[in-house]
This record gives sequence, C-alpha cells and structure tokens, in this order.
Amino acid sequence: MDILKQIDLWGQIAPDRPAHISEHGALTYGELCRQSDSLAGQLAQWLPDDGAPVIVLGHKQPEMLVAFLGCVKAAHPYIPLDTALPAQRIARISDTAGVRLVLTPEHIAEIVKLSRPAPTRRVTPLEPYYIIFTSGSTGEPKGVVITLACLTSFVDWMVNEQRFKEGEIFLNQAPFSFDLSVMDLYLALVTGGTLFSLTARQIASPKHLYQALATSGVTTWVSTPSFAQMCLVEKSFSAVMLPQVQRFLFCGETLPPEIAAQLLDRFPTAQVWNTYGPTEATVATTSIQIDRTILNRYSMLPVGHSKPDVQILILDQSGQTVKPSEQGEIVIVGPNVSPGYLKRPDLTQRVFFDYQGERAYHTGDIGYVQDDLLFFQGRADNQVKLHGYRIELGDIESHLCGLVQVRGAVVLPILKQDKVEALAAFVILNEEALNGSPDDSDFERSLALRNRLADHLPSYMLPRKFYFLTTFPLTINGKIDRRQLAETWL
Amino acid sequence: MPTKEKVLAMLAQITEVSQVKQDLDLQLYETGILDSLKTVELIVAFSEQLGIDISPAEFEREEWATPRAIVAALQRKVS
Repeated sequence: MDILKQIDLWGQIAPDRPAHISEHGALTYGELCRQSDSLAGQLAQWLPDDGAPVIVLGHKQPEMLVAFLGCVKAAHPYIPLDTALPAQRIARISDTAGVRLVLTPEHIAEIVKLSRPAPTRRVTPLEPYYIIFTSGSTGEPKGVVITLACLTSFVDWMVNEQRFKEGEIFLNQAPFSFDLSVMDLYLALVTGGTLFSLTARQIASPKHLYQALATSGVTTWVSTPSFAQMCLVEKSFSAVMLPQVQRFLFCGETLPPEIAAQLLDRFPTAQVWNTYGPTEATVATTSIQIDRTILNRYSMLPVGHSKPDVQILILDQSGQTVKPSEQGEIVIVGPNVSPGYLKRPDLTQRVFFDYQGERAYHTGDIGYVQDDLLFFQGRADNQVKLHGYRIELGDIESHLCGLVQVRGAVVLPILKQDKVEALAAFVILNEEALNGSPDDSDFERSLALRNRLADHLPSYMLPRKFYFLTTFPLTINGKIDRRQLAETWL
Repeated sequence: MPTKEKVLAMLAQITEVSQVKQDLDLQLYETGILDSLKTVELIVAFSEQLGIDISPAEFEREEWATPRAIVAALQRKVS
C-alpha cells in the first residue's frame, strides 16, 4: 500500500469525513490533505532537501496530524514530542537529532494559511518516515528510525489481518510520542476512518473520560492494557457505554488474562487482541485473538504469531537457536525492523544486524515458543514497562546522580502480582549538599528530589518512593546488589 | 459516617505516604502521591472497606486534591 496516496484518496472521495476528533476540534480528510500539502510546500522552501528531521511538538491537536503528513510529503521525517515532556528533555532530543525546525500547533495553523503547492519529492520507502525517542540506559534518549517501508509493512499486515471496515472510529489513548499511537493513527487514516483522541486532561479526570468515551462511537479500541484496566473499574464501562466496539487491540505491555476475561464478559460481541513488539520493529510484530479457549488453556497469555514476513528467533546467550519451547532472547528478523538509532552507530551496531539478507534486532526481551505461539517473559536487562511506557532504569539513575544533593542512586521497579506498579529510588545523599537543610524529613527530601528530577524526566519516569541509605549492599563481585535492595525494602 | 482517621489511614495505606495523615493540605496530585491509577485503587478501597460507592464516572480530581478534601468529599457522600 502507498500510505500517503491512500490518505490523499480519502481526501478526494470523502473530503467532509472527519479524520480526527478531539476536544481541540475536528479535522476533515479534505482539510488534512490540503493543509498537509500546503505545509509540505512551505517546508520544501524553508529546508534543504537533506532529510533532516523536524520536531512536531504538541498534544492531541488536529494540527499534529497535518504536521506529520506535511513533513513526510516534503521528504523530512518527523519526531513527535508531547508537551508533557520537560523542556530539558526536548532540548536534548533536539540537539541529538540535529533539528533545525520545531513545529507547534500554533505555527502549523499559521503556515497552512499560505496555501503553498505540495512538492513533488516525498519520502521514499527506504528513507526515515518518523523517529521515536525512547529512554536510553545512560540518560540520553535514543531515536528509533522507522522508514516508510517499515511503516508500510506494519500497516499492510494489520489491515489484512483485522479487515477493518471503511470509516471506523479508532480510539487514540497514547500520546503521539509513544509508538502505540502509530497503530491507531495510521490504521484509521489508511482505512478512511476517524481517529478519536483522548487528551491528557480527559484521561486524568475519570468524569470527563467516561463522558468522552460514551459519545465517541469507538469501533476499534487501541490502548495499553493498564488503561483498559483503569476504565474497567467503572461498572458502566461495557457494551452499554460503547455499543459499537468491535475489537480491542492491546500493545505496549503484558496483557493480564483477567483484563481480557472481563472485557469479553462486558463486551460480548467484541474481539480482544494481544500484540507484541518493540518500537525498533515498528509498533507490533506478533498478534493473537484472545478468546475463551486461549484464556482457558494458558495462565500467561501468548503474544501470538508473527506477521507472515517476519522470522522470530529465540537465541541462547551464545547466540545459538534454543531447542523448541526453551526460553531465550527474542530476535526479530523482517521488513519492519528499523535501520537503527539516529546518529548512534555504536548503539545500532550493538543490537541490530543483518540476517540472511534481512534486518534483525536483538530485543533484549526473554521469551519462548510453544504451540507455535510466542510467549513474552520479561527483560534480560534493567528496562521496565510502566503503564506501557518503556523505561531504562539507568536513565533515571543517571539523572538522579546528576543532582548536586545525590552521591549515589539505584532505581528499582515496585512489583505487584509480577507487574511493575511504580518505581522506587534508593539514594545516598551528598552530605555537604545537605548542610543547608539538615532538619528536612525524608518525605520533604523525597519531594525535593522528585521536583528536581521533573525538570529532566517525563512524569511517568519519576519514582514514587525514595529510600535514603548511607551505603548500598554489594555483591561478592563488588557491584550494587539490586536483588538484596529489592528483597529488603520492596 | 466514615471517621476522618479511618479515611486518612486508608489514604496513607494506599499511597504508602504517612505524611497524608499529618499534612491535610498536602497537594496529592501535584506531588505525585496520587495519579489516575492510585485514584482508582482508592475508589475501590472506599467501596470495599467503607461501603461508599463512588462512580469513577462522577469523580472530579479537584474534589480530591488534598487529604482534607477527600475526607470532606466522602462525608458529604454519606450525609
């Protein structure tokens, strides 16, 4: 499928149909196509044809979609960033990526009024289409480059598998900076559907959230399992509130069986799908419909079958394929695998490689294959998933250690029923820096550290609990004993 | 009528922050002590342990901004 042509086609045959609805307003296909052409025309005048990325900074405004398409129609990849990110993190990403232009909804609304003709040179299959930044273990966010060919591979697969009807309404829960949103955004746009975005304000206030859902008419629900779990607390969250829902698509974290079971009870005519995949392999690589048979058969839900053109390898520590049903590292080989990290050949070389002429990625995820289905078991390193967000614990640790009050820091996940519920920071304070405020309680110190961290890290990365220690327990090898910390305190 | 002490004890237990019992004007959302998921946990706990049913669909974050506000909101609910 030619994604951009397909979207333009909806602009011609259904120009008045809404492409996007949020509390910021609505945008029709006609407007989306005309405005993105106009923006692309202006970008082509402003920027040299060097494929430099453009930051698109906003939240759920309709102009975000105009900017995404406008950038690629001018052969520049976009970096979607949410305004909830601290300014320092945005600045760092901008520096790392060598960005010369940051577009915000206000700019975009002005630029599209210029009505420039669209340039003829658009993004080509092997060129970067978008770049999503994720947490990096050393505190430096890393940009995952996704080409048009990667995105097309993902979209073609989902469209063939799910057989969406024309004009469906897709729920958009995730911010655009999180690649889960690529699923709802592009599946909606290529099928002539409407993207229904929930804003952070609505999600933070259950009253507004349920009001919005009840009027949404959503047919395809796309979210993290955590979000659905939160919604299920309201008893009226059922087919009565959302009578049109036909399917739930989950991605971003492990789907607990009880969530799937509750959804099947409350939405008897809807399907529940589990998917799995890292950002480096374009949103999702495997999928499976979770029905009663699957629920009864497995206590831990499978993440499913890989898309047909993908090969999943399970490798042991020496890089050899494990025996059937043994666990090992999940390696993804296929056309949806990213070429690598933006301007980080060192990191790219560490985890990406070519395998039988195709791109391959070491996920760092542990899993096994049973009954021809992939099962995800967790991480081989210090990366955690919290409410679907991918977090390198080292990212938080390095920012904590960068604070003048802190001499040493370790961050660990707080687990509840094997699921990451929050983060805990273990901190050794720098006593010299404490002289000014020796009477502060640990609670006041926690709040102070949290506030300082919030200048650098998004709110989902801020530890909920802080423990103040004078030393860290060490292993016999002299490394910080993370296991002992967890066993003693968490 | 749920006592103030009982509500605060439950709040402290769920948030795992004992200061909520002492500083009744602590800004629970601004300080990150409460977030959407913790709020939902509290709603469930109030229903199970106090028999006070709060529909998440009626919930307003502003009404639960501080420990004092939560106590008042619950007492209003049963009075």
